[in-house]
Amino acid sequence: MNKILRAVKSALFIMVFIIPGLFLTGCTKKEEASNKLYIFNWTYYTPDSVIEKFEKEYGIDVVYDSFASNEEMFAKLKAGGANYDLCFPSGDYVSIMIKEGMLAKIDKSALKNFGNIDPGVLAKSDFDPGNEYSVPYYMGAAGVAVNKTKVSSYDRSWSIFCKKDLAGKMIMLDDMREVLGDALKYLGYSVNSASEAEINAARDLIDKEWKPNLLKFDAEAFAKNFAAGEVWVAQGYAESIYAEMDPSRWNEVDFFIPVEGGPSYIDSMVILKDSKNSKAALSFIDFIHRPEIYAEFCDAFGFPATANVPARSLKKGPQYYSAESLEPCELKKDVGADLEKYNAAWQQIKIGK
Amino acid sequence: MKRNLGPAYVAPQALWITVFFAAPLLIIVAYSFLQKGLYGGVEPVFSIQAWVDMANPTLLKVTLKTLWVSLAATIVIILLALPCGYSIARSKNQALRLFLVIVPFWTNFLVRIYAWISILGNEGFVNQALRFLGFRAEGFQFLYNQGAVVFVLVYMYLPYAILPLFSTIDKFDFTLLEAARDLGATRMQSYTKVMIPNIKGGVITAVLFTFIPIFGAYAVPLLIGGKDSYMLGNVIADQLTKTRNWPLASAISMSMTLLTAIAVFLFAFKKPKEQQTVKDIDPLSQPNGKTIEFLHRSPEQGKKKPSGKGAA
Repeated sequence: MNKILRAVKSALFIMVFIIPGLFLTGCTKKEEASNKLYIFNWTYYTPDSVIEKFEKEYGIDVVYDSFASNEEMFAKLKAGGANYDLCFPSGDYVSIMIKEGMLAKIDKSALKNFGNIDPGVLAKSDFDPGNEYSVPYYMGAAGVAVNKTKVSSYDRSWSIFCKKDLAGKMIMLDDMREVLGDALKYLGYSVNSASEAEINAARDLIDKEWKPNLLKFDAEAFAKNFAAGEVWVAQGYAESIYAEMDPSRWNEVDFFIPVEGGPSYIDSMVILKDSKNSKAALSFIDFIHRPEIYAEFCDAFGFPATANVPARSLKKGPQYYSAESLEPCELKKDVGADLEKYNAAWQQIKIGK
Repeated sequence: MKRNLGPAYVAPQALWITVFFAAPLLIIVAYSFLQKGLYGGVEPVFSIQAWVDMANPTLLKVTLKTLWVSLAATIVIILLALPCGYSIARSKNQALRLFLVIVPFWTNFLVRIYAWISILGNEGFVNQALRFLGFRAEGFQFLYNQGAVVFVLVYMYLPYAILPLFSTIDKFDFTLLEAARDLGATRMQSYTKVMIPNIKGGVITAVLFTFIPIFGAYAVPLLIGGKDSYMLGNVIADQLTKTRNWPLASAISMSMTLLTAIAVFLFAFKKPKEQQTVKDIDPLSQPNGKTIEFLHRSPEQGKKKPSGKGAA
């Protein structure tokens, strides 16, 4: 009995004194070190190999924290106290963060590789004209994955979701801007439409033509569902779909960006205003746009080298979709107060009238 | 003279509840009366817009659906937990059986949800087994519908009903069942007319422990549900993270808290009165008690059924 008591006492002692002590020393160490770079990025969006190379070359320790959505990232930064240097928001959030005064200007003269960036992508990044605050990281779009072993005849169009014979075997993202954007594009409107009539037309199309054929709206498990054969058609991100599948089954998948296009995104690198190590952040941005490094990043995810021109000829691996298929896509922008209209339409789709 | 140290003893808990319960709740109330920020958060401007938005037919529809799902799940849970709690209470190895009820808590609930997905999925274990037995190769669509949501909710919250039911049934004097049988009740009647009224407190606790968390369920409808399984918990999460309407999310949360608080108070005020009438009935000392009166009348009724065995 005494032994047990002693064991409990020592366990308590460790919990109360030693573990917090470790945390405290951890904290003080963090503040001392100035050659650390705190990155706040999407979950697994920069390959470890790239980060390791950067650490080795510059003698900088990289701390990689991740977020799953722009909203989550924004809320965490707004709450304060998070000392990140470099962040990777999507275009609409770049403009929001500029408006809110959260970003530091980027000294482009210090970026040797800025010239490698596709001028088309720079022109499209009008959320930050002249790229004063942001440097494009990657341009992509959600598309449609089809299981070729189950579905044989289909058009590479959003009309695939109208196919009644696939009812219950299709899935779309639980993301109102994405899905409404697809419907808007299909109807020939802008993905950033502010017109209530257009948004409502898109809503009715989804509600009456698409939703009856869908298993569900899901942004968390769509790739798992697709890989498990639960659904045969999935609207979503290529990298998630392929990551869930064994490479031996990749030939079963046809991933395409529908001919009508859809909302595309540009994720950009931005330096936060409170950054303590903006020099290292700037070095990282420049490092990413070295052609061989950018090719390595794209190969790791099967991406086309959308934002970096010289990297295109250096890429070795396969890519899930071509840079050209993004042509008809339209960049998703912050719609400000018009978001209310999207909210209302989306609520009606998800809940019913 | 001894000083009353009561307040001092209560102080730590009072502080705890103030800081971690009352204060956050007040913040939520306050947020529901502020203007929403364009990019999430709130503007420090008084507004009742969130409460106006609440009067929205789509929200009412979700509320009704949520109520329906919660009620269905709670009823199934209680029906399953009653015999389960009873068998544990009467078992010789209570400790082992209780342990088995608690074991699932060792696994994170999200992992358990995903476990059900791999069991019930189209390529899941059940469908594979059915396919092996020669059923249609297409597989059965078990998941992503309302039934699946209720099923997994029942699984998730069953232990919360078994534990309080067990502890009340354990205290129940089982000789009362024999007495009821001696006085002519069928086996089923001895349970429904003698045991159930006596363990009413446990049943109420079990209902509260299951209904309230199910009413606010979020992860199960999100992961197991289909396109029409949207529940109030999901509406709140969407308002916070996707549509950036924090005041509306606060207003919905507050209404749910109020609704459940009212339900709890109603139960709590009703409880003591009923327990008294039931507890006071001692079959030997009070032959004129309600239960006994009934039992005196019941022999013929009991005989109509050929055997009570099946009913148990």
